[in-house]
Amino acid sequence: MTEEKKLNIVLAGQGNTGKSTVFNFLTGLHQHIGNWAGKTIEKSEGTLFYKGYTVDVLDLPGIYSLTTYSVEEVISREYIINQKPDCVINIVDATNLERNLIFTFQLLELECPVILVLNMVDLAKKKGIRIDSKKLQDILNVHVIPTIASRGAGLTSIIDKAIELKEKKGQHKVHHYGKEIENCIKQLSALLEDIDISYPARWIAIKLLEKDKDIIKLVQKKKPEILEKTKQLQDYLEDIHGHDSSLVIADERSHLTCRITRETETIDANRKASLNDRLSAITTDRFLGYIVMVLILGGMFLTVFMMGDLLSGLFDPLFISWHNWWNDTVGTTFIASLGWAAVESVLALVQIALPYILPFYIILYILEDWGYIARISFLMDNLMHKMGIHGKACISFIIGLGCNVPGCLSCRIMESKRERFITAVLVTLVPCSAVSVIVFGLVGKYVGLLWAFGLYLFALLLIFLVGKILSRLLLGEPVELIMAMPDYKTPQIKTVLYQTWDALKEFVYIAAPIVVISGVAIHGIDLAGWMPFISSILKPVTVNWLGLPAVTGILLIFGILRKELILVMLAAYLGTTHFSDVLSPQQMITFAVVSMFYVPCIATISVLWKEYGWKKALIVCVLEILFAILLAGIVNRILNFVF
Amino acid sequence: MVSENSNMSLTDMKEGQTGIIVSVAGGKGATKRLADLGLSPGTEIKVIRKALFSGPVKVLVRGSRIVIGRGLALKIIVALK
Repeated sequence: MTEEKKLNIVLAGQGNTGKSTVFNFLTGLHQHIGNWAGKTIEKSEGTLFYKGYTVDVLDLPGIYSLTTYSVEEVISREYIINQKPDCVINIVDATNLERNLIFTFQLLELECPVILVLNMVDLAKKKGIRIDSKKLQDILNVHVIPTIASRGAGLTSIIDKAIELKEKKGQHKVHHYGKEIENCIKQLSALLEDIDISYPARWIAIKLLEKDKDIIKLVQKKKPEILEKTKQLQDYLEDIHGHDSSLVIADERSHLTCRITRETETIDANRKASLNDRLSAITTDRFLGYIVMVLILGGMFLTVFMMGDLLSGLFDPLFISWHNWWNDTVGTTFIASLGWAAVESVLALVQIALPYILPFYIILYILEDWGYIARISFLMDNLMHKMGIHGKACISFIIGLGCNVPGCLSCRIMESKRERFITAVLVTLVPCSAVSVIVFGLVGKYVGLLWAFGLYLFALLLIFLVGKILSRLLLGEPVELIMAMPDYKTPQIKTVLYQTWDALKEFVYIAAPIVVISGVAIHGIDLAGWMPFISSILKPVTVNWLGLPAVTGILLIFGILRKELILVMLAAYLGTTHFSDVLSPQQMITFAVVSMFYVPCIATISVLWKEYGWKKALIVCVLEILFAILLAGIVNRILNFVF
Repeated sequence: MVSENSNMSLTDMKEGQTGIIVSVAGGKGATKRLADLGLSPGTEIKVIRKALFSGPVKVLVRGSRIVIGRGLALKIIVALK
């Protein structure tokens, strides 16, 4: 038989269950990451070949994960119902069985074939938790597979079971809720029998009782009289239980999962506080926690910049010799120079990506996979609230320290549009690696390290103030932090590398093309000899208001491409890398302040444009330019008294 | 011993104290998200840690650690055990 055998499976689960580890293990390098049609939500698909089957694997967006908001839940359920995958693999965190089972029940209500993957059984064992997976399997009537995804243990049997499930379809088992609720569901399902909706009738009935907006709209179109009956039944349930009918159902699910968990799980209560517990206690301690946080983040920062400086220094002689080679062989004609501008842009991207951004993300994702980043969200939540956002925004800020592009993209973890926008604007003010190169290379080296750190503190203060103003200006209800706190676990190299690659890919795919194209354009203007003209136009601002040499006007224009160019070009234009010979300390600090805030780089602008529309992106840019010039001028005048 | 007037807000509980959720009076979205995480009336809840400067509250519910922002925690009413 040569006929191709196909198997179509999807992975679903809450955040922090090891879902992406399973996905990466199964699909390896055969992955395709795109977006859901019309949505800015990532869609990861992959393929594997197993026992004669071509297995298509789709990773549904995690729920209560780093990338959560309700659109993802809708995408997930629509996909499961409309695409009818052969099997839904529900990844469950064995250390949090009860909470995870709530989601499992929501999946089972969709009446699709489910395999339950009980992941991280090793960690559960360490915590003294034992789960009788056979019993769980019998109660739920779905296959239960215990796995340790980080070690790949048990993962191939997922596919074995999925194939088995496809070849002989099992009976779906209905899990009954309380009597009065079942009664309501039955009455509604009966009315739903004869209408044409692709969802199962029982599921629609449950969602109607839960007051699900999308489903109410759907039923409204097909058979509006059902909604009257729904209202009656909702009132009836609310009468009995004394609270909203949507909660009655959620409650019922919780009770069911609670009962099942009791039956299948035993916890060793006499276990001593583990290292994990103690570590968790220290890192969220009201005093020690903050000290640890400053030490960890400070250490990370110093490591990256000390290593980065060293590594990036190794590239310099190499690139200079390449430039000489280019001039000798290709020539120095207009076209050849433009060609070199393109090559140089690519090289410069490499010079910032490899020594700074790559190590930064590796360390960041080690901390994330270990479980520490969630602790920062906890510690910083209160401060973030003062800016109208919550603790999770911290993650975007920290990512932004590496590069603003993935930083701005990561704002998708925020729940509401308003918070996402506020966070994104604030991220553009976070000094990224490139800005740090300027701050340390100019101010840190020639004025003093303390001044460089002072500038960082200044940036933090500024971000706080801008956040405060933005949260006042943009009306809307602040969203509260609700987040599951993960246990500490050994970071998995593979997961860390995948996440690093994802962040780096955004930098490469989104930033690189724009940077190269605009790099060539601006070099063209330069070669055409228009730069002196431009710098003379900018003179009132640069020379009169900021007290800088006129040439800085040109540098700031180049800086829109990539901010570290400001420093590179400064050396080129002034003919020396000894900046202290040509700039006073006061000028250096003023210049660093303008460079830090005057505009997001062009790659970040393009992300703002993509995510929030060109109008908002333009407003942010114009305001930041005006603001930075005003600010730096004031700083310049204040520094008059210092130096 | 449970007295009649032992109902209080989650934020008033001390670290280490355990209680039973009586009601959740948050907005609809927040209430549903809490319910999906297993925080519904009748559930046992233990305060593990309260962050400094009236920050969020870390609780233990159904074997999971969950962090809840202060504003929302204020609206969760519990009966002390």
